[in-house]
Amino acid sequence: MRLERGEISSSQLTFLISCFIQGALFPLSLAFPISKHDTWLALIAAFIIGVFIVLIYIALASRFPGKNIIEINDLIYGPYFGKLVSLQYVYFFIISLSGYLWFIGDFVLTFIMPETPIIVIMTMFTFICAWAVRKGIEVIARISVIFVFIPGIIILLTFALLLKNMEFTNFLPVFEVPLEDFIQSTNIIMHISVCEVLVFLMVIPYMNKPKQAKRSVLLGIISGGLILLTGMIRNIAALGPLSEIVTDPSLIAVSLINIGKIISRLEVLVSMAQILLLFIITSVFYYAAVLSVAQITKLRSYLPVVIPIGIIGITLSLISYDSRMQFSYSTMYITPILSMHIYIVIPLVSLIVAKVRKLPQRNGRN
Amino acid sequence: MVFLLVCVFIGVILFEVPSLIRQKHWRELIVFLILLSIAFVMAFLETIGVKIPSPAKGLDYLMEDILHLNYH
Repeated sequence: MRLERGEISSSQLTFLISCFIQGALFPLSLAFPISKHDTWLALIAAFIIGVFIVLIYIALASRFPGKNIIEINDLIYGPYFGKLVSLQYVYFFIISLSGYLWFIGDFVLTFIMPETPIIVIMTMFTFICAWAVRKGIEVIARISVIFVFIPGIIILLTFALLLKNMEFTNFLPVFEVPLEDFIQSTNIIMHISVCEVLVFLMVIPYMNKPKQAKRSVLLGIISGGLILLTGMIRNIAALGPLSEIVTDPSLIAVSLINIGKIISRLEVLVSMAQILLLFIITSVFYYAAVLSVAQITKLRSYLPVVIPIGIIGITLSLISYDSRMQFSYSTMYITPILSMHIYIVIPLVSLIVAKVRKLPQRNGRN
Repeated sequence: MVFLLVCVFIGVILFEVPSLIRQKHWRELIVFLILLSIAFVMAFLETIGVKIPSPAKGLDYLMEDILHLNYH
């Protein structure tokens, strides 16, 4: 029995993924200290590699049409070992949810409301996300159609307004950083932005035309990636060497805008766009976590587990991250390699096992 | 603080449970109560100031100090 009754169209999936990729602009500030002004090259490299990894996910999804990743694991590995693999995905979804919750709390705390306790911000944010998740993926996908244009327009607008402050000599010399740092930066960008499309393995089965999944996913990644690249070029060109030091290059770069003393202090636009995008990302992770828990425990409806998972996510984010330094260190040096297990190893092994076992069998019980 | 926490959890139970009982979704009810009690224990310990081991920190420790697989 299907848990989710809603359906999304292929263009809605494109917008959802585009939102998802664009939302990585703020977390990408973690890659700046590593690869400095060559980060835009690392971004391009990460997207080229990432597209190939995403093709694995799409191959997996199109091999089992109408099945989400938990059901696919059950089919490939059998009911018991499959649960073990699925539990890793559930852990990954919940820990990403808690990471993003902590991220939005820290963002609001640092730049907008410094005196508020972080738990208040996280609780309010989780409440809105829980509301969206209870309404189903259809509603989240429809919101994303509106939300995808706002940050894109804001990035293009601020790019145009900042042209006066930009110095394109900031990009020179190209390829100055050592290769090791470049690889690390590429890995960071991959695991923050493009590889997280893995979570859409929980969403793709609910498309009304599953055949178009490949096209819409790739279109979403490319359009989101181009806007991400625009934002990154804006930051590097406007800030230069400063972009490696500041906490959030986007906000600092946009705060440089000052045209005739009338158009200034536009950073509120950037933070607005950031909160909208983080809302979409958090909702999708929340939805995936809830749906996978409901799928593993074989429920008839996923609504009852929404609120408990939200509370677990908030508590996990409170106990997992103490400070921004610890969060940054963990995201920059440890999780890129740790998450390769989830992003690359398990999907690739699943695909190979499915090919070897010749799944799905046409005339069998599977 | 603890009082507030208990109030929130009672509110959640009042919000979810009646419709589950009315529809006779017993399996959903059991899963909901198990997950909610996990959430309650975690939130309660966090509120009264007990340090709970975090799985994310544990994995970080495993990667960094035992396997030495992190970037330097």
